Amino acid sequence: MGVVDLITRGDSICKKYDKYDIDKQREANVSGDDAFSRLYSTFESALETVLQKTEDLSPETNKAKAVAMNAEIRRTKTRLLEGIPKLQRLALKKVKGISKEELDVRNDLVLSLRDKIEAIPDTSAPVVGGWPGSTSYSNIRFDTNVSDHRIGSEYFEPTEESDQFKQEYEMRRIKQDQGLDYIAEGLDTLKNMAQDINEELDRQEPLMDEIDTKTDKAATDLKSTNVRLKDTVTKLRSSRNFCIDIILLCILLGIAAFIYNEVKDGDP
Amino acid sequence: MSSDPDKMMSKADKMTKLTLTRWSADWRGATELYEQAANGFRASNKYEKAKVALEKASKGQEMQASPWDAAKHMESAAALAQKLSIWNEVADFYRKASELYTECGRAQPASDALGKAARALEDVKPDDAIQLYTDACEILEEDGRDQMAFDLYRACANVYIKLEKFTDAATFFLRLGVAADKCDATNSQCKAYLSAIIVYLYAHDLKQAEKCYNDCSQIDAFLKSDQSRSATRLLTAYNEGDIEEIKKVASSSTVSNLDHSIIKLARKLPTGDVTPIQMNTNDDLDEDDLT
Repeated sequence: MGVVDLITRGDSICKKYDKYDIDKQREANVSGDDAFSRLYSTFESALETVLQKTEDLSPETNKAKAVAMNAEIRRTKTRLLEGIPKLQRLALKKVKGISKEELDVRNDLVLSLRDKIEAIPDTSAPVVGGWPGSTSYSNIRFDTNVSDHRIGSEYFEPTEESDQFKQEYEMRRIKQDQGLDYIAEGLDTLKNMAQDINEELDRQEPLMDEIDTKTDKAATDLKSTNVRLKDTVTKLRSSRNFCIDIILLCILLGIAAFIYNEVKDGDP
Repeated sequence: MSSDPDKMMSKADKMTKLTLTRWSADWRGATELYEQAANGFRASNKYEKAKVALEKASKGQEMQASPWDAAKHMESAAALAQKLSIWNEVADFYRKASELYTECGRAQPASDALGKAARALEDVKPDDAIQLYTDACEILEEDGRDQMAFDLYRACANVYIKLEKFTDAATFFLRLGVAADKCDATNSQCKAYLSAIIVYLYAHDLKQAEKCYNDCSQIDAFLKSDQSRSATRLLTAYNEGDIEEIKKVASSSTVSNLDHSIIKLARKLPTGDVTPIQMNTNDDLDEDDLT
């Protein structure tokens, strides 16, 4: 038996048992002129795709992608829900060749479809971690509610004094909350300023290092220049002394010559 | 040495022209004369002539192979051009100065020169200003000094916001985020991301804003920050159509710590209609039904 024979035998067997293939039957039924059936089948296929997406969603560990997919699912869900009334209208219309019982069945089908759509989960699990502050705040809220509830029951009879006390307590708590809110705002500003200062300091650190190296270099240059200058100046001064010596010598010689001339004139 | 700047200019010009008697130009003397002439012109408020003198002085310094002095003269010339409002010359001069600074190997003054140019041109020629800012940021990034680039990125994004090109502005904020990431400046990074999300929301592009938020949440530093919390509150408020909540978040302290232009945008949120998501898809279906 060759491969071609196998294929032809397989095809003939499939054709024989086609009438037991549910999906194919559904498609054959649908490809009629019946608007209701067509629309119903489109709805069903859309529903299946959405369910598929929700299944893809559950193993998704990347929270960002999960959020994006949830948004997608939400959008398709609402679109389907809006199409349900149209489907219902079609279901109630009388179409030739359909019996009365089938009409009722169609109505039930539409309602069940709507329930199925609404049952699709479209929100992810609430975000965990990161903000413990807010949860502890709600815990505090919860405790006061419990205490209020207890006060309301018959554990003790409320007298005028205790009522006043309770009111005063409430007022003071509200004032405290307001004060704390004010402080929180101030702290927020402080935190922001501190973080900015932190970043600015980080930014300035390498600049300071550069300035440090450059000033060191400049200082060593200055030192060597100073030494050279000192040498030059001492040399200059010594030569100046030498010149002064010569000048003074010349002056002395001049004075001596003058005196000699005077003496010579006076003597003969 | 005559004290008349015009005479100095002509003398210096003669010194640089090559004639039969002069076979090599005396750039040193010419440059000195040019500088003095420029000072003289500036003192007598003849800015046009001072600018020309500075240009020539810069050229002289370049010929003498001292690019630093040349760049300094170019910058002064550009400042004078700014006073005279000759905008294309401003851009050209600052660019030339920046090139000369790069020749010296000093990236910071180079980008500073471009930054000054961009600031001068912000109001008159915003597109050129944006180009100058981008170039300045690139110079700094090549040199590895990303932190200095933060201010330039912010200024550039502000220009885009003024031009109402919101996607471009948001892109620049994201680039700021990248630069901040390199320097571990987490506060600036988170603020940059929150600013980008607000810009998208102002452009009423809710999908983009959500996408942006999702992308940024990949980064640990952002996910655990106050800014991320504010962003979530904003986005959920948008999704639920809760205008009160939007206004509350916009006036919270986290948003008030951002740039002024972003605060202004945030106060104006929500732009357009804020209807819950279901309503939006209703509109889509109605259009389909009509066609």
